[in-house]
Amino acid sequence: MVKIKIHTKYEGAWSNADELLLCLDTGSWRTERPVMDEEKCNYCGLCALYCPTQCMIDMEDQFVPNLDFCKGCGICAKECPRKAIRMLPEGEF
Amino acid sequence: MMVKKKKLSKIFDYFRDEDPFAGGISICSGCPMELLLRFMSKVLGKDIIIVGTPSCSAIVLYGQNIGSWHKLSYYGCLMTGVASSATGITRYYRKIGKDVTVVCFTGDGCAADVGFQPLSGAAERNENFIYICYDNEGYMNTGVQRSSTTPFGAKTSTTPIGVARRGNETTGKNLPFIIAMHKVSYAATATLSHLEDLAKKLIKAKEKKNEGFAYIHVFSPCPTGWGFPMDLSIEVCRMAVRTNYFPLWEAERGKFRLTHKIKKSRPLKDLVRMIRKFSHLTDEEMGMLEKEVHERYRLIEGVTQMMPLKETP
Amino acid sequence: MNMKYKGEMRTITGNAAAAYGAMLCRPDVVALYPITPQTEVVEQLSRFSADGLLDAEMVEVEGENSAMNIVAAAAISGGRVFTASSSWGLAFMYDALLQTSGFRAPVVMVNVNREMPGILAVSTGQQDMIGTRDVGWIQIIAEDCQEILDLVIMAYRLAEDFDIQVPVMVNYDGFYLSYLSEGVNIPAREEVDVFLAPLKEQPERPKLVPGGPLGCGTHGIEKGFVELRYKHCAAMERAKNKFDEIDRLFGESFERSYGGQIEEYYMEDAEIALLASGSASGTVKKVIDSKRKHGLKIGLVKLRMFRPFPSERLSRAFRGKKAIGVIDRSICFGWDCGPIYMELRALSSEIGLIPMMSFIDGLANMDISIVHIERMIDSVYAASQGKPYQRVNWVILEE
Repeated sequence: MVKIKIHTKYEGAWSNADELLLCLDTGSWRTERPVMDEEKCNYCGLCALYCPTQCMIDMEDQFVPNLDFCKGCGICAKECPRKAIRMLPEGEF
Repeated sequence: MMVKKKKLSKIFDYFRDEDPFAGGISICSGCPMELLLRFMSKVLGKDIIIVGTPSCSAIVLYGQNIGSWHKLSYYGCLMTGVASSATGITRYYRKIGKDVTVVCFTGDGCAADVGFQPLSGAAERNENFIYICYDNEGYMNTGVQRSSTTPFGAKTSTTPIGVARRGNETTGKNLPFIIAMHKVSYAATATLSHLEDLAKKLIKAKEKKNEGFAYIHVFSPCPTGWGFPMDLSIEVCRMAVRTNYFPLWEAERGKFRLTHKIKKSRPLKDLVRMIRKFSHLTDEEMGMLEKEVHERYRLIEGVTQMMPLKETP
Repeated sequence: MNMKYKGEMRTITGNAAAAYGAMLCRPDVVALYPITPQTEVVEQLSRFSADGLLDAEMVEVEGENSAMNIVAAAAISGGRVFTASSSWGLAFMYDALLQTSGFRAPVVMVNVNREMPGILAVSTGQQDMIGTRDVGWIQIIAEDCQEILDLVIMAYRLAEDFDIQVPVMVNYDGFYLSYLSEGVNIPAREEVDVFLAPLKEQPERPKLVPGGPLGCGTHGIEKGFVELRYKHCAAMERAKNKFDEIDRLFGESFERSYGGQIEEYYMEDAEIALLASGSASGTVKKVIDSKRKHGLKIGLVKLRMFRPFPSERLSRAFRGKKAIGVIDRSICFGWDCGPIYMELRALSSEIGLIPMMSFIDGLANMDISIVHIERMIDSVYAASQGKPYQRVNWVILEE
């Protein structure tokens, strides 16, 4: 008889985040990246709150985007009340 | 060195737990639903069971084989099954005497269309869970088809603009109002531009679900399906509130309250011209959309006066 | 707390027997929705709940689809569950039936057989069960009211067995059994507790826990999907012998057993045989008794398990016979015969190339009468003697 190879222990359609947390390289989707103007930023955090991917890292006096995941949507730049964030083409980096 | 004048927004104080989602998940850039998912999880905390349905959110709410996109416990059911599955989970936990926060997370196509019967049933029975509907006014995951919350005139892939027919021909269901009229423990509308309002409503829903059904209808525009630049998502939400296209209110057991009154509303055109799905509207069609928006607002304004809900301190 | 129930002999309907069976097993969550001819099950369970005999979360749902979703989710959360339906109600939960089995939720439900497609009929027929034969559920069939009660109890042992974890549908003929009152020996709750106790000693199945890392309903991608399908099929195969074993253990506990997957009646020395299921089996047995008196060596196989199909035991039971007749209370669209007949034909190479006849009878509440059965036996006998025979017979419509 041909042997069958079974990989998982579950009988039903279970996933287990402790065994495997999936993650996509969404940083590669970006065509523009947010660039902070530290002078203008007053650390209000609205960019972090509105960021759909919640990828703004709190540096305690400002927020910086985690470019591994930032999709480059530009919401942070649009919502910044002090216009401290500019979206610059990825080609410039 | 410039002095930091402002402190961190107080909205951060509403977060209970870390974001349980992986850094990169496959939701379109600029989608407010992704923000809703992450924001909701941080506010409600990690001790919840999410019940999802096939929709844009299912792609990340459900895992792939053994892997998961988040650390939350979830139950991934079919579109017809979200409210009933949540009932099953809640009832079992009630039977064994354990408190549990079960959260349905689904789109308008499920809530207003194919999953409407179980939703209405669970609302009528006042089941003890939270139901969050993110309303992007159509079936976005399958490629922007019309649903029963699609507004009048909107262009979708099943209501295209042609010589014989022009866009969606109905005005759509006023779903949050319909659910509120079930006299559920809690019903509210919210959107992603008004995050503190949303956070308060999430927390209230978590409290109120101990008494019965808690429903939050979240306006969640779709940059891909509606046709607007992805950086405008939050601005579209904001404009929908400012034009009274999507008024923010809450209701408890059939008593209503506006949570964000607009002193002087902006003309609906300011919203409509941001969105390509409305770009073909003639003056006459625009007038009909305005009429519906106006009527809906008058309805909610009327009930807040007739059946007022006192603000809880 | 469920109140004490000390057991008694009572004359009750098939529906009440199903409700007693469920009540004795202490389900945590019960979903209730009425449909003829099942409604009495729902009413009786509500009565038990009101009387303190059933301490379960009773959900009076707004439709069958929700009923199945509720019990499936409650089972995945770790609970014991029950629901009941029939015909169109079963059809309305079709998507949820598939999901329940795919999730391997050990749901137990009762399906009171009723006619289905196209032509409206409030009458018995197994078409509803046949319509859901490929949804991945275990399907078992009762012959009388006592067997209904016993099968519901056995169904929990089977569904919740750690090696099985497949939902079980207990079928019985609507009208013929649902409303038939018979003497039923209702066991005491303690006896049922003892019978179900081994389920508590097995490893725990995964369940939904708030804050936990587990989620149910993951997408099956490529091999991941196929692996789960394979496991499901393997569990269905295991369910056959497991059902035989549970039936034997049930006999040891309650002094009643039924033969497991199939019941063989005078099969040992039989030269010709019938295959029947459900309430008609009783009538067939009576006719066989009288035919035997006249020297005809005929036997009956009563099909108790339809899914998984008891292929090994059926092959063994029928091997060496000269001709077989299969009574179907439903039809197989796309083939010209009854569905159980069609399935038995798939065992032709094991059984041998003998005449096999399909008898379509008992549709739409029509009696599978003594006269009909005698006629079937005569035809099968003639076929066994090498005479020409008609393969498919619409018994009701014969002149």
